[in-house]
Order: sequence, then C-alpha cells, then structure tokens
Amino acid sequence: MTELKNQNSPFIHFHQKISFKFDGIKYYGYKGDTIASALFRNGIKLIGRSFKYHRPRGIYTCGIEEPNALVQIISEYSEPNVRATVKKIYEGMEVESQNRWPSLDFDIGSINNVFSPLFSAGFYYKTFMGPHKSFWKKIYEPVIRKAAGLGKPPKEFKAISSHLHHNVDIVIVGGGLNGLLAAVSLINTNYDVLLIESDNQLGGILNNSSKINEINGKRSQEWIKETIENIENSKNIKILKNTLVTTYNYINHLIAVEDKYVGAKPAEDKVNSTLHKIRTEHVILSNGHIERFLSFQNNDLPGIMLGASFEKYVCRYGVIPSKEPVIFSNNSNSNSLIQTLLELNIKPKAYIDSRSGEQIEGQLFDLIRKNDIPLYTNAQVKAAYGNKKLEKIIVEDSSGGTSEIATDFLCVSGGINPDVHLFTQSKGLLDWDEKDLTYKPSTPFQNTITLGSASGQFNLEEVENEINKKLKIFSPNKIKIKIKPSTANEYQIQKLWEVAAHKSSMWSKSFIDLQNDVTTKDIRQAISEGFDRIEHLKRFTTNSMGTDQGKISSINALGIVSDLLDKKVNEVGTTIYRPPYAPLSFAAIAGRNSYEFYDPERKSPIHQWHIKNGAVFEDVGQWKRPWYFPNSKSESMHDAVQRESKNVRENAGVLDGSTLGKIEIKGKDALNFMNLIYTNSFTKMKPGSARYALMLGEDGMVKDDGIICKISDEHFIATTTTGGAANVLACMEEYAQTEWPNLKVYMNSITEQFATFNISGPKTREIMSKVFSEIDFSNEAFPFMTFQFHEFEKTQIRIMRASFTGEMGYEIYVPASSALKIWERIHEYGKEFGLIPYGTETMHLLRAEKGYIIVGQDTDGSITPIDLGLNWMIGKNKTDFLGKRSLTRSDTVRSDRKQLVGIMPTNKEDQIQEGQHILLQETIETPVPMLGHITSSYHSPTMGHTFGLAVIKDGHSLIGTKAFASTSDQKTIPIDIVKPIFYDEKNERLVS
Amino acid sequence: MLVIDCPYCGPRDQSEFSNGGEAHVKRPDGSQDISDREWGEYVFIRSNPKGLFYERWVHSHGCRKWFNCVRDTSTDEILEIYKLDDPQPPLKKFENKIKTPSGEPDVGSGNFTVKK
Ligand SMILES: [Zn+2]
Repeated sequence: MTELKNQNSPFIHFHQKISFKFDGIKYYGYKGDTIASALFRNGIKLIGRSFKYHRPRGIYTCGIEEPNALVQIISEYSEPNVRATVKKIYEGMEVESQNRWPSLDFDIGSINNVFSPLFSAGFYYKTFMGPHKSFWKKIYEPVIRKAAGLGKPPKEFKAISSHLHHNVDIVIVGGGLNGLLAAVSLINTNYDVLLIESDNQLGGILNNSSKINEINGKRSQEWIKETIENIENSKNIKILKNTLVTTYNYINHLIAVEDKYVGAKPAEDKVNSTLHKIRTEHVILSNGHIERFLSFQNNDLPGIMLGASFEKYVCRYGVIPSKEPVIFSNNSNSNSLIQTLLELNIKPKAYIDSRSGEQIEGQLFDLIRKNDIPLYTNAQVKAAYGNKKLEKIIVEDSSGGTSEIATDFLCVSGGINPDVHLFTQSKGLLDWDEKDLTYKPSTPFQNTITLGSASGQFNLEEVENEINKKLKIFSPNKIKIKIKPSTANEYQIQKLWEVAAHKSSMWSKSFIDLQNDVTTKDIRQAISEGFDRIEHLKRFTTNSMGTDQGKISSINALGIVSDLLDKKVNEVGTTIYRPPYAPLSFAAIAGRNSYEFYDPERKSPIHQWHIKNGAVFEDVGQWKRPWYFPNSKSESMHDAVQRESKNVRENAGVLDGSTLGKIEIKGKDALNFMNLIYTNSFTKMKPGSARYALMLGEDGMVKDDGIICKISDEHFIATTTTGGAANVLACMEEYAQTEWPNLKVYMNSITEQFATFNISGPKTREIMSKVFSEIDFSNEAFPFMTFQFHEFEKTQIRIMRASFTGEMGYEIYVPASSALKIWERIHEYGKEFGLIPYGTETMHLLRAEKGYIIVGQDTDGSITPIDLGLNWMIGKNKTDFLGKRSLTRSDTVRSDRKQLVGIMPTNKEDQIQEGQHILLQETIETPVPMLGHITSSYHSPTMGHTFGLAVIKDGHSLIGTKAFASTSDQKTIPIDIVKPIFYDEKNERLVS
Repeated sequence: MLVIDCPYCGPRDQSEFSNGGEAHVKRPDGSQDISDREWGEYVFIRSNPKGLFYERWVHSHGCRKWFNCVRDTSTDEILEIYKLDDPQPPLKKFENKIKTPSGEPDVGSGNFTVKK
C-alpha cells in the first residue's frame, strides 16, 4: 500500500528509516515513530486480542490513555503490556501482539465471544459460588486462566533503575501551552522550578493539532523553540522530558519515572529509568485533557479511533491512518481535525454530528459545505461492522431513517475531560460541570494550582487571564500572549454517552471499557442486580479497573449510570482515581535496592577463613554464619553435624559467635537500669561475674536472652541473640528516654567491634592454657560465669567462662582487627587436642541436649519464663522490671499454659520431627485438640536416637507420662514426656 | 510519605522514623498495687481516633531520639511536634483545624459525593 505521510511534521525524521519486527515480520518506520504510528505506516490495524472475549482490537488512541494497543517487547527481556502508542521504535526492535493463540489473525480464544454470557458482569464472583467447588477448579478456572490476561511475564529480567530526590519550590506537570507559559512566568524568579513533560517534545496541543496557528504573531513551532530557549537560559528552571508523573502523594510528594532510552534499545548494565522522588511547596497541574469515546455496537473494531488521536497521528507523527475517514462527534473538539485533514487535501468521507445544524459551529458548517463533505446532523452511528477491521457503519438520523456508509476508518469524539487523575490523587475535590459535561477540579486539598484544560478551562482566549490570575501568589513575570486559534474558541458539547442499541447478531457488543471488555449491557445488568453505587458497580463489572483506569471511558459510564438511575452525575459520584497514573515497572520502584544490594550481607571478621575451610553457610537475619564444616565433598550435613557434636563432647570445638549482639551500658545509674530491663537482679552480683539473663515484653513474654557481664555498678556488657540485637538496643533506648529519663545511663552497640569465639569441650582448659599461657585457667582462679580482661600481644581481650554446649567452655571477645590472628592461634594450639571448628547446627544440637532454649525457636512471643521453668531467673525482691506485673496476671498464672518439656521417642528408632503436633491419643481424629508442638528436634550422637523440646499445655505436670507426636506422613509415634534436659543434668561437666 | 520535623535534626522523610504508637500513656510504676484490668489496659489498650491523635515517634535512622507529635489521622497533617519533657498541648488548640481530605464526616470514610 502507499504510505500516507504528512511531510510537514517536524518531529519525524523521514530520511532516517528504521526497521523493526511485529509478530516476526519486518517493517519499516522512521526515527521518531511510535510502534503505533509505524504500524499505521504499514497499514496494520489489527494489533491485539481483547482481555475476555478475544475480539480483534486495533489502536484506539495516540498516547498514555490507550486501552487496546498493548504489546510485548521481545527485544527488552520480553517486557509485557507496553503501550504501542507511547513506546518509540528503534533499529532491530522486536514486538509481539498479546493475548492470542495460535496467531493474532486466527485466535481460538475468540470463541469466548460466543460464550459471552459466561463472562457477563460479576462473573468472577458468580463462578466462584458454585455449583460445586470442583466445578470452578476443573471447568471455569482453566478456561478463564487461558482466556483472560494481558501479556506474559518477562523472562530474564535485568532492568536497572536509579532513584533521584528533588527538593524544589514549584513543580509544573505538563509542558504544553500552559505549562510553558507557567514556566515563562517564573523565569529568573527566586523559586526552584521543575518542569516535567512525559513526551520527548514540549508543546502539547501545539504539536498534536492544528488548533493554534499563531502565538504572538509567530508560527507555533517557532514560538515553542524560542520559549524553550528562554526557559533553559533561566537559572532557576530545570526541564525533565520523557518523564511521567505517576503519583501525587500527601505533602506535595510526587513520583515520576523518566525513560532514559526513548527510541533506543536500553543498554544492559546501564540505568534504564530514573525514578524521581520530588518534594515541593507548590504543584502546578497543566497536564491537559483526555478525549473520551462513545458507545455503540462494535465500537471496538480495528479502524475506530478517537478523533483527537487521529489528528495527533497526522500532526505529531506525520502519518495519516486513513485517506477517507468518517468522523462522528457530539462536540466542537473535532473541528480542528477536519481543518487539519482539509489542509492536507484529505476529504473526510462523512461528518456525523449528534447536534443539530444550528448547534454546529458556523465556521465548521461553512467548511463542510464548501468542501462538499457529506454531513449528517442530528445523527448517530448506531453500529459498526467488519471482519477483523471496520468495513461499514450504520448511521441513523433524527427521523429514524438509517443509511449505510462503507468506510475503513471512523474517528469518534465523545467530548473531553480535564486529566484529573493527579488532582484527585492529591485529594482535591471535583465538581460536575453541567455545561461541559465533565468533572472539573474545584477545591484543592494541597498547594495545587490547575491551569488550562487540566482545570476545565477549554477556552484558548482565556489562557492569558487564567495564568496571570492563578499564579499571582508567586509575583511572577506577567504573561502577554496573543493566540490565534484555527477554529471556534468556545467548547460546545451535546449530551450523548451511548447510542441506543441496534443489536443484529450475537457477536455485536457495545463496549464501555475496552481494556476489560465491559459492555453497556453489563452496566445495566449490574444496576438491575442492585449494584447501583458507583464503587460497587465498578468492582462488579470491572469497569475502569484495567491498567488504563478507564481514561477514555469512565466518565461515559458515570453518564450512563446517571441516566439509568435518573440521578445527576454529581449524585452518582465518581470512583477514586488511584496512583499510579500509568503502570510503572517494579524495576523502577526497586531502584538500586535489587540483586546484591537488596539486603546487606553481614559477615564475621573471619568470614574468609570459613570459606577457605569449606564452611556451608546459613542466613541468620542479615548474617552469614557457618552452618557446618563438611570434612569432604561427600560428607552429608547429618554426618558432619554428628561428627562435630561428638568431637565437642569428647575433645573440643570452637564456634564463631561473632554475630552475637553486644551492647555496652554505662552510667551512674547503670545498675538500676539493668535491674529494670532484665528479670534478673544484678545488685548482689560481684564485679567480674556474669549471669544468664532474660528480657521480657511488658506482656510478660520472653523477648530476648543473653549473658550480662558486670564490670562495675556503672558499667555492664550485655550479649543478645543474633537476631534480636537491634531490637534490644532500641528497647533499652526507648525506656531510657521515655520512662526513666531521670536515670543517668547510656548504651551503644559494640556488636561489630568485637569478634566472639566460643570454645568448649573436655580438653578446652588444656588448649586455653597453651593459647594464653600466662593465664591461670584453673577452676579456682577462673570459676564458671566469671570473666577477666587480659592484654594479649598489645590488644585487650575479654575471656569469659561460660558455655552453651554443656561442656566446660570459654567465650573469647577479641577486637575485630585481631580476630583472625587469635582464631588461627586457637586452631594451631588446639590441633593436638583434636579441636575442630563447628557450625550453628552443632551448636543447636548440643544446646538442645542441655535443654537451653533458643528465643524465637522454642519461644514464640507467647511464652513466659515460668512456662520455660526458668522461675529462678526472676528477681523476686525487685519492685519492678519490664513485664513484671504481667507475670501475675490471671492469664499468665493459669496452670494449663503451654510449657516447655523434653520428649523422647518410646521406640528409639522413631524419628521425632520439628514442628509436629503432640497428641494424647494414637489416632488422628479431626479436629485434633491443639495441645502443643515440637519446637526443636535433633538426632543425638551421644544418646544414639532423636529427642526434642516441645511446648505442651500443662506440660510441667505431664512430665513422666506418655503421649504421641504426629509425623509428616500423617501417622503418630509414641513419645515419653521428660524434663527438658538430656545431658549432664547435674552440670558436673559444665563447672569441672 | 510524611515529612517529620525532628526537634533535634529538622525536617526529614518519614522513612527515617519509626512510629511508637499513642503518646502520654503512663507506665504504672512497679510499686503501685494495681488490678489486672488496669495493668492490662496499659499493656494492650490504645486509642485509635479519627482526627487528633497524640503519638510518639523515634528518629531511628537519625539521632535515635524519641519525641511526641499531634497528628490528624484523617488528613495525616502533623499539627505539632514537641519534646518528651514539653507539656502536652491541649486539644482545643487544634480543634478548628480538622478538615478531612474530601470533606468527609469525622467518623467513617468513603466517597463524599455518594454519601451526600
Ligand atoms: Zn533526629
């Protein structure tokens, strides 16, 4: 076919051909083309299949409001749902149509159109209801899943985005006529101004139509060029192009996405998009208007398009989608389209207007007559027909007579709406304008000013007045502007939402939402079923719930509903416009918080040693901890843990406990403070001694545990669990500031300043005496739960006699910088005694044998110290500590609370499994009474069988009885409930 | 996202702060002899008004200081920020300022035009 060009378009580089692929076939466009404009150049109208009914769909608009022309960009990690009307082509681009199988031309899913009663309003809800559960699963769900949907998820997603913060005084959204004038009025003022335009050209309506021929005696393009130069030379205004404001939050916080690769393939490992986070004092919304469509039978056929969009393709993209389109309108916005076409010697095939001859603008009337364009007044398009593309339309005039017009293209205009999305996101109020038949911004909630058609001011003669008046608060430069419009100034519209039905076949439908395939019949059905509130109706029909949020159709739906309910549109109300204005990718939102930067990895100071020695790591919060150290590639985790555990019990082992939280507490009132924070009493504790301590929430439940070292009454060092360190510090700070500000106490985290090595096993004393030969490690000189500071090779280290394994042991606290040196020394001297490194799994096994709990594993925020049998840790004589009063609440003193016990399989070969339930009978009969569950379980190499810890209702009094534990294969095994200690009950090894 | 004017650091984005719930809830002293109900109310019960609310914030990714604030929960407007030892500002100081975003009533929510 011969391509219809408008060579006058200054935005298309007609000398620069670009090749791209659509559904595997190679086409040519020009630099500056969108996918849509390039497809029109090649005569392609069918571009996708619709969401529910798989009806053939084409390109309906020329911008972000597009409901139909969504495509998948194969050459960009298969990015789905890209608007063909926005995305610019580049050499080698590969585009695919969506939601069709096996091909766009022959699509099996289109049979849905015949089964359409299945998919009528509320079908999601109704099909969920029955007749039987399996009906949904086996019949509806597979059908709907295959039929419904947009593009396919991208495969290998690698897009990179960065975030940029702005703090400015004024943001102007939209760089059209009004946006440019607002910027001009602020040139060289004391305001920091950001002018944001979503297109790569500033000028808006000046570029997209022939509505304005001259400004201040200059051709519009000349005026734009000059104006931009002036703005760019101003010291206080920054222009952001290709940037779409998606979100207008509270406190004038805007989110905008900038496409860094317009008309080019995004480079790998470069930033593809920038997310701008903008905080401003004032926002000027000059983001224009959106044309809406009209509903009639088969108003979705490829070849039907909005009138203003057709004009934009001609003016902005230099492509003429059809050489003899029919135009159907109820308002004056289409006048300039006729003007544009006639200037290019293109004669519309017919002009159809729902208004009478007297209502039509005189200038337009004359133009039509002079050029001999067939004119239908008081007329409406009743229906459109064609096979996968428009072939003919049926026109009905006021007398009821119909005529048929054969045509390949129909331009529709149902009127224009101010683009109020951002204004309503900002919580501004709208008001219905009965003359212009649209919602317009009325009361702003924030410092928001609307200008031009975004404010509902459609008269070009008023531009100067409006700007000078509304921007007065900035004491701006006064704007003087003379605009010469090409057509009538006054916006005129006649009420028309939907052309009365003219149903002639099952296939015919009159759509109200093209993206979600909602018909006007669905709206009627919803109302007849009682969904007459607009928010209910929206959800029941899914009207305006697509990714386009019904930008070209939601007002029409309100109009139809108001007619059906015989209410004013203002009484019907409007649904809430929610951010984002248009979809933005997760990559843009994530920014640099992705891949390796998603979450910081924390490593012990001797992490490299662990890697070198073959450690397998586990994640504990953000920490990487050695889980176990397999001695060969073939050693399984179970074997390694059994070997490590046995070795610690028989010889010695050392654990890197550096991730343990460490907090230093100092101050005149430190003792007082510690007594209030922990359950234990530290008053009588001697300096140089240590104590296992519990921290509760105010509800009396165990929150954290650790060892507290008392250096003096004014100086303590507390350890916390690895995961609880930040919370414990925050809790201490909170109480120090908010509840006991009179206490002189200060605290700080020293977790990362010190490495911690836990060495334990029967040969520990011998090893320690070799490593630190000048220290006396005898029981008398260094008793259990004491600590000492020592100078070792010019670094101060702290050694504590403590153990988490049940064997005699020491914890060595070393400044991080000397950690590796001492760690290696321990291994060097320990070798002859059989010392090995062990990981967290062995630590867990050994502590469980000893009945030591892990906060967060054996407790879950509903366990008190009494439930754990740790009554001895509660400072009985203290008047207060966190959660003290809760320990005597009626709920916490119940005897049937879940309490910690030990469990053993009655048949030693049975496996006790973590997380399984405890039952009192052998058979599982639902509902199973919730008695409790197994919190920890391991296979003990010392005992030769599995064992576990469990929390069971009334557990303490069940000790010595038998019960059952469920298993993962839904059987039960008999168990013995025992005391939660399986090894060295008398602590003889611990204090040896 | 709110802008919160830390009394020690100045205005910062909300993401630097953590919310600490209702302010001016006095912790009963351990020496007090109080009933289970009174203690339970301190531990578990907080008010949740639509409108003026005294609440606590901490500048957790900043100076780590706690402070108090009066916020209108229906508009999210922060009306006053004051240090912990400053006196609690009386409610009547702000009463004329209540104005919900869509002019909706003080109780409930939803679309104003529909409700009217
Ligand atoms: Zn601060």
